[in-house]
Amino acid sequence: MWRRSASFILDKHQNNKPISLTPSIGSPPPLSASVADENLNPNHISAYYQTRAAHHEIVTSDWLEQAQAAVRRYLDQDSPVSGRPFSVIEEFDNWRQQPALAEAVAAIRALAAVIRASEANTMMELEIELKKASDTLKAWDTTSISLTAGCDLFMRYVTRTSALESEDFNSAKSRVLGRAEKFGEISNKIIATLSQDFIFDGCTILVHGFSRVVFEILKTAAQNKKLFRVLCTEGRPDKTGVLLAKELAKLDVPVKLLIDSAVAYCMDEVDMVFVGADGVVESGGVINMMGTYQIAIVAHSMNKPVYVAAESYKFARLYPLDQKDLEPALQPIDFGVSVPPKVEVERSARDYTPQFLTLLFTDLGVLTPSVVSDELIQLYL
Amino acid sequence: MADKTQTPDAISAYYQTRAAHHGVITSDWLAQAQAAVEQPDSSVFHDLGTEKPFNVIDEFNGWRKQPDLAEAVAAIRAMAAVIRASEATTMMELEIELKKASDTLKSWDKTSISLTAGCDLFIRYVTRTSALEYEDFNSAKSRLLERAEKFGEISCKARKIIAMLSQDFIFDGCTILVHGLSRVVLEVLKTAAQNNKLFRVLCTEGRPDGTGVLLSNELTKLDIPVKLLLDSAVAYSMDEVDMVFVGADGVVESGGIINMMGTYQIALVAHSMNKPVYVAAESYKFARLYPLDQKDMAPALRPIEFGVKIPAKVEVERSARDYTPPQYLTLLFTDLGVLSPSVVSDELIQLYL
Repeated sequence: MWRRSASFILDKHQNNKPISLTPSIGSPPPLSASVADENLNPNHISAYYQTRAAHHEIVTSDWLEQAQAAVRRYLDQDSPVSGRPFSVIEEFDNWRQQPALAEAVAAIRALAAVIRASEANTMMELEIELKKASDTLKAWDTTSISLTAGCDLFMRYVTRTSALESEDFNSAKSRVLGRAEKFGEISNKIIATLSQDFIFDGCTILVHGFSRVVFEILKTAAQNKKLFRVLCTEGRPDKTGVLLAKELAKLDVPVKLLIDSAVAYCMDEVDMVFVGADGVVESGGVINMMGTYQIAIVAHSMNKPVYVAAESYKFARLYPLDQKDLEPALQPIDFGVSVPPKVEVERSARDYTPQFLTLLFTDLGVLTPSVVSDELIQLYL
Repeated sequence: MADKTQTPDAISAYYQTRAAHHGVITSDWLAQAQAAVEQPDSSVFHDLGTEKPFNVIDEFNGWRKQPDLAEAVAAIRAMAAVIRASEATTMMELEIELKKASDTLKSWDKTSISLTAGCDLFIRYVTRTSALEYEDFNSAKSRLLERAEKFGEISCKARKIIAMLSQDFIFDGCTILVHGLSRVVLEVLKTAAQNNKLFRVLCTEGRPDGTGVLLSNELTKLDIPVKLLLDSAVAYSMDEVDMVFVGADGVVESGGIINMMGTYQIALVAHSMNKPVYVAAESYKFARLYPLDQKDMAPALRPIEFGVKIPAKVEVERSARDYTPPQYLTLLFTDLGVLSPSVVSDELIQLYL
């Protein structure tokens, strides 16, 4: 089930879910009135991609409403809600809005908040609470792979370590908390360090989409005084290319903007392609912004390496068999002119790149795609 | 439009025309339109400072604005107007005038391949026939005029011939991917719809011209199911596609085509998934060019709107077209028949000899 990403609808969402942590049945806030039609038949708009759009500072009217709702919510946070005063989804939402934070890290921090607010006395009880919170988060946005993967990994960590150690409850709790805080903190830096050897002076890098990891890589390379040039695809419809170009221009990196159609035209002058990943799947392929598969095909046909930068918590236990074998994550597309009503639009926000990848830069090291399933086994066992 | 007799600035006039045909009002076009309205036809004669009261470029521009007319046909009609307005008394003099007019047209827009090709073909026809016949000057002149008029008809008929030839390749239940807004491809799809074939069309968005939405407008009028894709989503959707149809701005000697930016990319993706790529092009688009790589053509640039402000230091790739090498094309539908890319150079020799 998909839910529209709106903080003010969350209370309504919790009203409907039987296992919700905040049974605030009594007084739904007045903010949810504006999206009364979202209840049973949502727009299939992927919350994950709405967040990315918000991070990229595209101020849509939805986002504006959300922001206003969030401000209002903060203002009347003192008013007690009946039942438990803690909502993992609210917590998650708060963390999620920060552009610098990846989705999985936000989820882990929300789970850490669950631990802190927990009144459990035994590890088992804490685990059950965490499991409930993790399921709530996952059900809230079923399209986000890193969210699911991050929650799963953290749950596995908690389950594994709690069985091994025989210390008292409080120190176990604080240890788990410590791990949650540190989650994903330095993975970007590790990946940036690992990838420096692959960027040589005078190279031309093609980038698709706006990945924080890839940006970190390019930033580090610029700081190490490497001379290189970046070609950014426009990244319709999110305009990620333009945003990335702006950021890179600030770092004095020469940038060139291309429309998505011009990738093959420019592929001659490109030395390597860098993309991020929304998720890395068991086959070693990646799920990323729409257009990545196309660029990988073109790069492969001209023997250019395609490098993927992904943190290890994005490794998911999925094995898509073709493009459509994923949960649909749809995004609204604005064509600038009105489209006739009978015309369908392909609104998927992501595609699956099963092959043509050269290397994956992760905080576990530089991996080839075939090694990914080995790493996954180690991570999830 | 007096300033347009010189070499235009970096914006390719050919693509400006296409944009104008597509109803995309750029500010340049608007300025031109205003200038055209303000300038009554007679004042043109004095603006140039030349002795001849006739300006082939204005004539050409007049014909060019009609959306249904191909660029080469507009050029031929302008040359026909040159013949009519000519005061020459011998064939040689007429030929020289025509050559001058043709050179003027070609230098006015260096980027348009069909314009160049159309002019060359007509000049060659003139040169060839004038040497063979021994009739008097006036009948030769009228025969040339007739030929020029017929050229316009031929080009309209060419589209119908191409549409007819391609019908066998569109089968019931097929999915066609189309890139760009080619009048020939539209004719092909229209004829298929009229023959009650059931098929579905996927249109790429066609940044920055927005050709996808325009094409989908046309196709919905014909009750053809259409789906719009982002340019990035071609590989994602290529599984469900049975064939790719594109037009061409020009067909080059290698058998490759020059077409709207993105065609090469789509051909690559289609080739990697074993989908046929069909090109629909009239024979007057066959040009004597042999590009060795993407950048080996006269650059045809056009402005791109990103919707947000771009920092000044950031360059933008503004080329309007790319070159698709012949190995990624399956067949070319032309009014000379259904050709494979390797046959193109044979046909070119026959056309231009």
